[in-house]
Amino acid sequence: MHKDLRSPSARIIRCIMLLFTGFNIAILIYMFYNSLRPRTDFLTNTFGLSVNLTIDNFIKIVVKDGFFRYFLNSFLILAGALILSILLSSTVAYGLGHYKFRFKRFWKTYFLVGLMFPIQLSIVPVFLITKQLNLINTFTSVILIFGSSISMAVFLLTNFFANLPHEIYEAAVIDGAGEFRTFAQIMFPLASPVVFSMSILTAVNIWNQFFVPLIFLQSDSKKTLPLLVMKYTKKLLMTIDSAFAVSILATVPILILFIIFSSEILKGIAEGGVKG
Amino acid sequence: MITFIKRRPYVLFLVPGIILYTALIIYPIFSAMQLSLYEWNGIGPKTFVWIRNYVELFTDDFLMSQFTNALGNSLKLFALTVFIQTPLQIILAYMVYSKMKNHRLAQVTIFAPQFISTPIIVFIFRLLLDDNVGVVNNLFRMIGLDAFAKPWLGVPELGIFFMYLMITWGGIGVGMTFLIGAMNMVSVDGLEAAYIEGAGFWTRLMKVILPQIRATIINLILIAYIYAMTMFDFSYVLGGNTGGVGGSIDVMALFFYRIAFGDSNPVGGKISSNSIGMGTTIACVLFVLIFAISLTQILYMSKGEEDR
Repeated sequence: MHKDLRSPSARIIRCIMLLFTGFNIAILIYMFYNSLRPRTDFLTNTFGLSVNLTIDNFIKIVVKDGFFRYFLNSFLILAGALILSILLSSTVAYGLGHYKFRFKRFWKTYFLVGLMFPIQLSIVPVFLITKQLNLINTFTSVILIFGSSISMAVFLLTNFFANLPHEIYEAAVIDGAGEFRTFAQIMFPLASPVVFSMSILTAVNIWNQFFVPLIFLQSDSKKTLPLLVMKYTKKLLMTIDSAFAVSILATVPILILFIIFSSEILKGIAEGGVKG
Repeated sequence: MITFIKRRPYVLFLVPGIILYTALIIYPIFSAMQLSLYEWNGIGPKTFVWIRNYVELFTDDFLMSQFTNALGNSLKLFALTVFIQTPLQIILAYMVYSKMKNHRLAQVTIFAPQFISTPIIVFIFRLLLDDNVGVVNNLFRMIGLDAFAKPWLGVPELGIFFMYLMITWGGIGVGMTFLIGAMNMVSVDGLEAAYIEGAGFWTRLMKVILPQIRATIINLILIAYIYAMTMFDFSYVLGGNTGGVGGSIDVMALFFYRIAFGDSNPVGGKISSNSIGMGTTIACVLFVLIFAISLTQILYMSKGEEDR
């Protein structure tokens, strides 16, 4: 079946893909190597071999700039928003998928419409609301915004719950479990593979979010990782040593996590995409 | 009250989601429509001006030229995705799906930049393309092609293409992975039949697989359209508030941001006293542009649901 991968065109494409792979790895090595060099060393002898490698750049970023605080900020927002969106979307999806009631179609469509409303468009009213609630410059605002974009998740999970055999539910109810316990202890765990693949997609999205934190988190101590990085990469040559170090620190831990869990993550995304 | 809920247990499951979703996703759209009918900067007096903001947006030369420029750039990004990125993703996905040698390694490394945040991606490409310290120029100089060495990112005409290169480098993996997922759902029987009939490697992709993953491809194109209309970070990181020299990499979302939030508002005067009014006006126009296209997606998705 696969032997015609040996056809010339397939071979050429494979070579290009592997070159690209090599290119990406080389970039990472190049960044890491340069993050160990003092600024003047990089600027005067950009492509030469350096003799005085040091970890000063990292020390500066971690100690003086409190790198881990920004990392923690990003992480707190991710964790908060992820938990909120899982709670909201799984309960709504269970309500819509499992029960039968009037106007169900309306509510299904109602939750689907959110796909058409990217947060950028409604950011002005959202900003005004959060200002009224005194939530500007708090993580709560950003978490609420990210955690409420549940359209896609509700869509995926509603179908899942609707297709679960009803006998499971009945058995639980006969055993005396209440509605909510049935959901929390039996139905939700059954959905966990779907919840997982959906969470991966959501997490990738939130981690890279730039726009919302830029507008809502104005004080320095609340800023997220991308905004810290930008401080150093903006003036390229003036702060290039810090830019290298902060890029490595912000990227490498995530990449290691990704590589460790890559098969689960890629499988989750592939499945989420099929159903979406 | 308690018996009401006892009889309708779904209410408890729906209410928290409905409240937050309505407050932060649905209500703001209507609120934006309403605000776009006022002249207001968020603090001062709020005057009802009916559709004058829309009239101003489409008649004021300064605003209109920014609008058409940004819309043009957003559409360019969309076109580049449809004609370059999507076909590329299909080929990459097919190679991985066919389990070429080292396909795991390739898939992981192609996907990995997804986890690198925008400012770092921009930084990496600056390191490659910068005039003095850039790798590309130094390679050119090394092999004696000094004439080709340029401050690449400073050429306004090329700006949007380099930006697109960065977007693609960072984001190509997700669509590719979606497509692999879709390809894995294609039944093997049809492929084997085609193989026995003598269909080659690429013929099987074109004749058997593509027709069956059409839904995923259409979905990707719609996502790309919404992305092009709302992409903000690359333009902002690369070109700041104004979207590069002469707005060469300005896009719709950045234009909107500049009017609504731009602190060093270059427009000044009339516009900055109407930042909320004009900002929401642009948002509403953008909303119509997205609505028209994505309505088809919603209809498509709920139709798929009926079929089940």
